[in-house]
Amino acid sequence: MITRFKSKKALSSTDILTNSHIRLMVLLIIFCFGIAGVIAKLVWLVFITGWGVEERRHPPVAPLQARADIVDRNGRTLARTIDVWSIGIHPRTLQANHISDPDILAANLAALLPERTADEYRKILRSNRSFVFLRRHASPELVRALNMLGEPAIDFLHEPSRLYPEGTLCAHVIGWIGEDGHGQSGMEFSFDKELTDPKRQSEPLALSIDIRVQAAVEKSLAAAMQKYSAEGASAIVLDVDTGEVLAMASLPNFNPNDRSSSDPTAFDNKATLSVYELGSTFKPLTMATALQDGVVTSLAKRYDATEPLAVGRFHIHDEHAQKRWLDVPETLVHSSNIVTARIADELGPERMQAMFRNLNFDHRPAIELAAKGRPIWPAYWARTTVMTTGYGHGIAVTPLHLTSAYAALVNGGVWRPATLLKRNPDYRPDGSRQIISGQNSATMRRLLRLVVTDGTGRKANAPGFRVGGKTGTADKAEKGRYNHGARISTFAAAFPMDTPRYAIVAMLDNPQGIAETGGYATAGMVTAPMVGDIVQHIGPLLGVIPDPKRDLDLTDLRALLWKPAAKKE
Amino acid sequence: MGSMHHSRPDPAKELAGTERRKGKTREDAKNQRFGRADRSAFGRWFWEIDRFQLFLISLLIAVGIIAVAAASPAISAQEGKPAFYYFTRQIFWCAIGIPVMIGISMAPKDLARRACILGAAICFFLLLLVPFLGVEVNGAKRWLGFGMFKIQPSEFLKPFFVVTMAWLLSFRFKDKSLPVIPISMIFVIIIGALLMKQPDFGQTVIFGTVWLILLILSGIPILWMIGLGALGFIGVLAAYQFYSVAHTRIDAFLNGTGDHYHVDRAMATLTNGGFVGVGPGSGIEKFRLPEAHNDYIFSVIGEEFGLLACIIIALIYGTIVIRVFRRLLGEDNGFLLLASAGLATQFGLQALINMAVNVQLLPSKGMTLPFISYGGSSLVAMSIGFGLLLAFTRRNPYLARSTYLPKWQQK
Repeated sequence: MITRFKSKKALSSTDILTNSHIRLMVLLIIFCFGIAGVIAKLVWLVFITGWGVEERRHPPVAPLQARADIVDRNGRTLARTIDVWSIGIHPRTLQANHISDPDILAANLAALLPERTADEYRKILRSNRSFVFLRRHASPELVRALNMLGEPAIDFLHEPSRLYPEGTLCAHVIGWIGEDGHGQSGMEFSFDKELTDPKRQSEPLALSIDIRVQAAVEKSLAAAMQKYSAEGASAIVLDVDTGEVLAMASLPNFNPNDRSSSDPTAFDNKATLSVYELGSTFKPLTMATALQDGVVTSLAKRYDATEPLAVGRFHIHDEHAQKRWLDVPETLVHSSNIVTARIADELGPERMQAMFRNLNFDHRPAIELAAKGRPIWPAYWARTTVMTTGYGHGIAVTPLHLTSAYAALVNGGVWRPATLLKRNPDYRPDGSRQIISGQNSATMRRLLRLVVTDGTGRKANAPGFRVGGKTGTADKAEKGRYNHGARISTFAAAFPMDTPRYAIVAMLDNPQGIAETGGYATAGMVTAPMVGDIVQHIGPLLGVIPDPKRDLDLTDLRALLWKPAAKKE
Repeated sequence: MGSMHHSRPDPAKELAGTERRKGKTREDAKNQRFGRADRSAFGRWFWEIDRFQLFLISLLIAVGIIAVAAASPAISAQEGKPAFYYFTRQIFWCAIGIPVMIGISMAPKDLARRACILGAAICFFLLLLVPFLGVEVNGAKRWLGFGMFKIQPSEFLKPFFVVTMAWLLSFRFKDKSLPVIPISMIFVIIIGALLMKQPDFGQTVIFGTVWLILLILSGIPILWMIGLGALGFIGVLAAYQFYSVAHTRIDAFLNGTGDHYHVDRAMATLTNGGFVGVGPGSGIEKFRLPEAHNDYIFSVIGEEFGLLACIIIALIYGTIVIRVFRRLLGEDNGFLLLASAGLATQFGLQALINMAVNVQLLPSKGMTLPFISYGGSSLVAMSIGFGLLLAFTRRNPYLARSTYLPKWQQK
């Protein structure tokens, strides 16, 4: 159409105008395409790329990538990524704005942020500085209060940050993340890949921990630690059937939200990292093996404990020497080293080692955490080694090793690896193995119950909870030699003993005797009452109903206990 | 003056208008109510002007004030100025710009044309002075004067240049033998050279494109159009080759290399609001956006009021330009057609380029969003330009439609 005019010789004014109108129309269409292009790009930005905006919202200041929450077995949040506010002020802008009077603002700031005085604030506000931080990691309430001051020179910067709402509770298990946004310790480290997986963001990582149980355990542990001036303490509550850890505490602990103020040793998880000679708590293990292997054919079989046992240049003593022949229940009730050593000697190195290997005492504990201690396994199994390991000396394992072993003793004889992930009640982990028969397990349950009703563990007898367990007091091995002044007082238990559901191991590191305990700091005096306390707190939380009328029938075992004439009823 | 008789009412048309009037009694009644019969200067202006266009422009100015209010704290925080420094100044510039626009829109068309030619001469002279007396801001020497009273001659030259070129080229409608194209070309080359020296690549593109469109509308042969288009393309290529600012910006756009901090920040700001925006005053990204009140104000609107608001703004610009062009389809006066089309092109092109840069359809170049971006020179110059546009598109409501419109539609 346009070219048609070119062929005409003479163009009239109106023809040119008509031509112009056509061209105007073409230009208009081109312009409309331009506007349509802008709108199309805008729509594309909203519906195609717009949704991804969240991630690049603060690219330079937010190294923290999206990270799933960690919750306890009841869905309570243990770790969450939230926006944390930091508050700052631009003094130069403030002076240029003339909105607030610096003197009044300084007074207001001093009231809301008492870490500086009004005078100090006035100095900052009148300074020539361009930016001053007023508070890092401020609470939303504080941000709101400062925002109400209405001064535009006050700046609120927010950055995503990992928050651990339970503070010090369960800190060793949860762990923490580093500046790079990746887990550095605990479950944050072990499950870093799963937590940062974009596809699994909506699903929190559910731990086996029950934070209520954890709180009760930590409270009792901290109280005992303070009462007996212990250097440290540790406790584990384990589901004997699934291997789920319901509580795992290690004191001293730290606050993962602010790790700077903690003692460096607080970061060690004593429950899985530190290895100890756990002493007499090993005796039931030896006894169970002896029953299983037919070394002890009858609980009434008596062993000579009249005088210390001499093996070469070694002498094995009893703490509460009975100076008579003791049967099996008496051995555990009085915690006789001599008799246990005799039985271990009869078992011999092969069977003792086989038992310890069955209980995984030759490997780091089976758990999802990275901080796992390697047990101290005897390099040479001399006759004395066999005897001493029978009552828990000369071999060092973590408290978690012992908890899993006790779970196996009482649950029908099946050893299972422990787990920190929430499982179904009928979950049975891989790598489980039968270590003693169900019948022998039933016998061990009654023997352990007897220790609590009639032996060294009396103070752990939480009424109605049918607690069974064994004390263990060992000299602390430090730098390759025994420190006779320092001890590890352990109590290994399970409850309720008629149908065991939970195993508990609690340990106090170097407790000091007090007047109330007659100056003693043995497990029976300091750790057993603490475990009794813990059971009373956590039993109802875990659905174990205390029933004073219900107990195991220990009549036959009691009949085997010799009592001095004066004490006889 | 040749154009004088163009604006003289055609008796035949007037008659047709009266004929039409007879049939519309309802409109008559309305006319009486609003005093259309009243022939005072204001009454005549009110009924002649494109009132919907005036409404759209008021809308843009209102959006601009809100947008500058949103961008002002961000840019003030970066420069350490009081939060509403730019906002209060924008209000001041609007208080100057709006009366200027309305005043100019009332001017008789011939007077407006003559004033523009005079204005173009003055601004051209001022532009010549910039290299010698100019003030340098951000590495570009574009301004004359000092402090608050800085003016950017190139901004003011734009509307006057368009009208002058339209006047010059409109002679082709009467006598094709006049050498108006070479004469206009000389001016464009001089202005282009001065602008590139400042440097101001964006303005050069606007001046060049507007001139090209005026040539097209004045009926140059199609081969010339292709040739000039190619010349423009070569010009951009040459700028890319020899002009470092353009070079780096185009590189950054094409390859995503080099310094694309500005465009990345703009994109982050624009998309942060999602579809409906984060709400007025709640923007975060704007605080890290350079030129938030100026080149990237469209992004600030996107963050606080959402991409929906951005789409509406794009539609307003589109509507304004479409309205002008549609009106011009019935315009039989060559000068008025060229001048109006040129002014609308200058306005629409600038808006289109600015928005396209914000949504990353084009490489970044310094260009303001008409009536929305902060800037005294820009706003007042735009007011002058739009006032002229309103004046040139003013039409006697009693006149019949152009006979060319049905003619064009028949073809």
